[in-house]
Amino acid sequence: MSNEIKISIGILSIGLVALAAYWFMGEEGDSKKVSTHKRVEEQIILPQYSAKRYSNIPEVKEYLKDLSAVIKSGQAVLPLDASELDSNGVLAQKILLKDKAFLKDTIRNGKPLHNDMMRIRPAIVSVLSASSKTICKTHKCYQAEKYNYVTNTTTRAVVDTDNKKVLEVTNHAGMQPDISLRLTHIAQAIALNAPEVAKELDRTPRRQDMSMSNVRGALQGSPCQNSEHLCVAPTFSDHKNEQALWAIVDLTEMTLAAAKWAGLGKTTTPACISERSLQNRYIMKNFCEKDTHLEKNGWKLDYRLTGSDGLEIINVEFKGQKVLSTAKIVDWHVAYEGKGEADTSGDVVMAGRQVEFVKGDEGKFFFGYNDAMGCPMFSTSVVLPFNGPLVKELYDKDKKKVGFYLTQDFRNPKWPMACNYRYENRFEFFDDGSFRVVGVNKGRGCGENAIYRPVMRMDMAFSDKENFYKYDGSWKKWLTEQSDFQKDAKVYDKDKYLYKITDENGKRGYYIEPNRGQFHDDSRGDNATLFITKFKEGEGDKDLLTLGSCCNLEEDGVERYLSANESIDGKNIVLWYVPRIKNDARAGHEYCWADTVIDSNGNIEVRTFPCIVGPKFVPIK
Amino acid sequence: MKRYLPIIISLLVVLAVAFVVINKKNNQTTKHKTEEKFTIGNFNKQKSCARHPEFLKQLKVTQPITIDLSQQQFKGLAFLWGKNFSKVIHPKAWETYEHFSTYALDEVGNVYLAPMPFISIKPTTFNLQKNIYKLDSKTGKLDIWMNFDDVHPSASNPYGIISLVYDCDDQTLWVSAIDESDYREQKGVVYHVDVKTKKILQRVEGFDALTITLLRSEKGKFLLAGSARENALYAYGVENGVLSKKVNKLLELPSAQEHIRKIKVRGQNLLELQTIPFSYTLIAQTSANNRERNHYDAKWDSTSSTWSLTKQ
Repeated sequence: MSNEIKISIGILSIGLVALAAYWFMGEEGDSKKVSTHKRVEEQIILPQYSAKRYSNIPEVKEYLKDLSAVIKSGQAVLPLDASELDSNGVLAQKILLKDKAFLKDTIRNGKPLHNDMMRIRPAIVSVLSASSKTICKTHKCYQAEKYNYVTNTTTRAVVDTDNKKVLEVTNHAGMQPDISLRLTHIAQAIALNAPEVAKELDRTPRRQDMSMSNVRGALQGSPCQNSEHLCVAPTFSDHKNEQALWAIVDLTEMTLAAAKWAGLGKTTTPACISERSLQNRYIMKNFCEKDTHLEKNGWKLDYRLTGSDGLEIINVEFKGQKVLSTAKIVDWHVAYEGKGEADTSGDVVMAGRQVEFVKGDEGKFFFGYNDAMGCPMFSTSVVLPFNGPLVKELYDKDKKKVGFYLTQDFRNPKWPMACNYRYENRFEFFDDGSFRVVGVNKGRGCGENAIYRPVMRMDMAFSDKENFYKYDGSWKKWLTEQSDFQKDAKVYDKDKYLYKITDENGKRGYYIEPNRGQFHDDSRGDNATLFITKFKEGEGDKDLLTLGSCCNLEEDGVERYLSANESIDGKNIVLWYVPRIKNDARAGHEYCWADTVIDSNGNIEVRTFPCIVGPKFVPIK
Repeated sequence: MKRYLPIIISLLVVLAVAFVVINKKNNQTTKHKTEEKFTIGNFNKQKSCARHPEFLKQLKVTQPITIDLSQQQFKGLAFLWGKNFSKVIHPKAWETYEHFSTYALDEVGNVYLAPMPFISIKPTTFNLQKNIYKLDSKTGKLDIWMNFDDVHPSASNPYGIISLVYDCDDQTLWVSAIDESDYREQKGVVYHVDVKTKKILQRVEGFDALTITLLRSEKGKFLLAGSARENALYAYGVENGVLSKKVNKLLELPSAQEHIRKIKVRGQNLLELQTIPFSYTLIAQTSANNRERNHYDAKWDSTSSTWSLTKQ
């Protein structure tokens, strides 16, 4: 065989092998290409700081100062700075700030409402009416947009600057316009100063790394606060990792509303991201789908959000000793008093709840509903968690740090509108081993004659053999399941303790100190009913849908678990504690109430008058 | 020169094979890319076999007639008719099975109804979500028509059977249920049910359809499905009465919170989509201006093979 033949065979062999490799390797390469396209898992960050943190940023401070001056002068519209306008724009602004139709929605009850002029520019044909089109063919026309922060309304006007005449004014309720350059800089400044953003980027964010994404098109719904606020999303791109951090800035509150990491690819970049849906997914992933462990000041516990029983703490220990198996608020019974005959012929729905009616004495009836708090998705709750559970320091009346508390805020999305509610589930842990289960109601409710009853369930964990006592001058042990009206008690041990629960030999245990207003939180007392039952599966150890009637004031719902013959002596027992609160809407005496007023900057200010209830558990020493 | 001929031939052979291989490979990639975009082609509104119940004639009810399942004024279902739909037929017995979400009329006027949990959970709520209900065309009597043993609503997902549509081609019902799904996994089921025998002909798992409707296009028959989890419209192919296993995304809505609750074929390449926020809870959307409920026109442009969305 000649050398040429050998070379030919070599060329054929190598060539065909190389082509076969290309055929298969190519495919692998392609799939590799696809798989290496980084799929960024959505990661949501909720704000940890309030709006106060941002009020000292120079851009925000100056803006608030200018706004305050405008409102004080009796005007309502913060004008655009001349640097954002050409000479005709300056003229158009001057005309509009005197135009009655343009300013029609800027005053309420004599008080100016916060409005910002957002943009003034030469009019584009698509916004003009037929008559304006004719005029603007020969005249210089400018279009202007202002935004009313209180009513969440955009007003658009067209001005003929040649004739110094306003041609048209239209209002767009629930819509937000493109923002001014000044507000763009403010949004950027808030994002740059947000500690959450810096933490996520792992460095001090720089203005040049940021782009201002339009999370909504012009005059489209806002992603914040159920579309009631003006929001934008400065974005920090991380090209190396094919992802971007979206910081949603709420310009109505001047704060960071939420942030999220998302991929840069078209399929993963959110066209429109909403604060609510981000919160829902964050809360589901972190607090509904798993327990969170907390260790602090000698306390160890796990906590989670339930489907309909609010925030639950489990496996609580103090300095290595078991304290609680679980504690939670399973329901808020909400009842209103009515007079006369209730019409119960059909279903009555009030603010999204089915209303129950119960006949009372003396021509009265009670109506209301049970509010279940819980996970924002895949649940039967009607009051949603806002933000996740937070851990905060606990101070006494002298501002001395005495422990910490774990809290979860639950709200109807429309709070503080009438018939919408806001509750807080709170667990306070003191450095001396005491703890308190707290329910907070922040109104607003449907009226001034509401009766609220949070149903608290606590299962202590000293041992499987526990004993329960009531004080009536001396400690008396309860032998069977029963209830007691705390509100009727005349004497308390050491003027504090009405009940105590201990282990079998009485060595370990806790006094129970009902709230009678002594905790320096402006509470008017618990006026509670207490129930002691033997632990049984299916009696509240898992999620309870609803427990009893909202409006039968003779019962709290726990009665169904009571049996006079069931022994609790040396058994694993469960405490149910049901405070009873009457709200108050009288000026100067508000309690379990919320109200909105227009503040000195022309913005809506929500004033809350919380009522705080719940017993304290103090270790027996 | 002759002595180099074998080398030249072998080089030419290698080059020729390389040309074929590279071309074929490129064609395959292009084909693969083309296949990624799923379209249903041109479509138009089809004449439906649906008839209103016969008992309405006996009651001398005249057109226009509409079936009200809004649950705002009437629990269960109600027939509204006459000028401005001011007249109402709503016997108390039609409230027996609580609330309904969607209905489908057959060719003789029977009404098939899908249930819905509404605002409050009662002891009966979960069981009611396991059934399809039927309002008899002749008698107007409302009854449970079919029970699904494998539908299990619970406190962590109170929904069960949620939508249905009648198929005039073969007298069957397409039914969707979303009870098995949880936050992590989509486990919804689309059932195909023979109306005469109540036999389940097909059961396709893995997609949560909040609403379904049938559509016929130049490319064939499709079951359109609004996703309960995403802000998107999907389509299953239906061939010889059998649903394709794969569901394909057609279009996406602008807001992540919007879920398609109703689909109507309005005309030539035009769909009307009604959307609501949906999170597998009972939170009622009670905004005074009903801002949470949106309507879109979805227009298919066959020349650019794109959908355009217009908010109504």
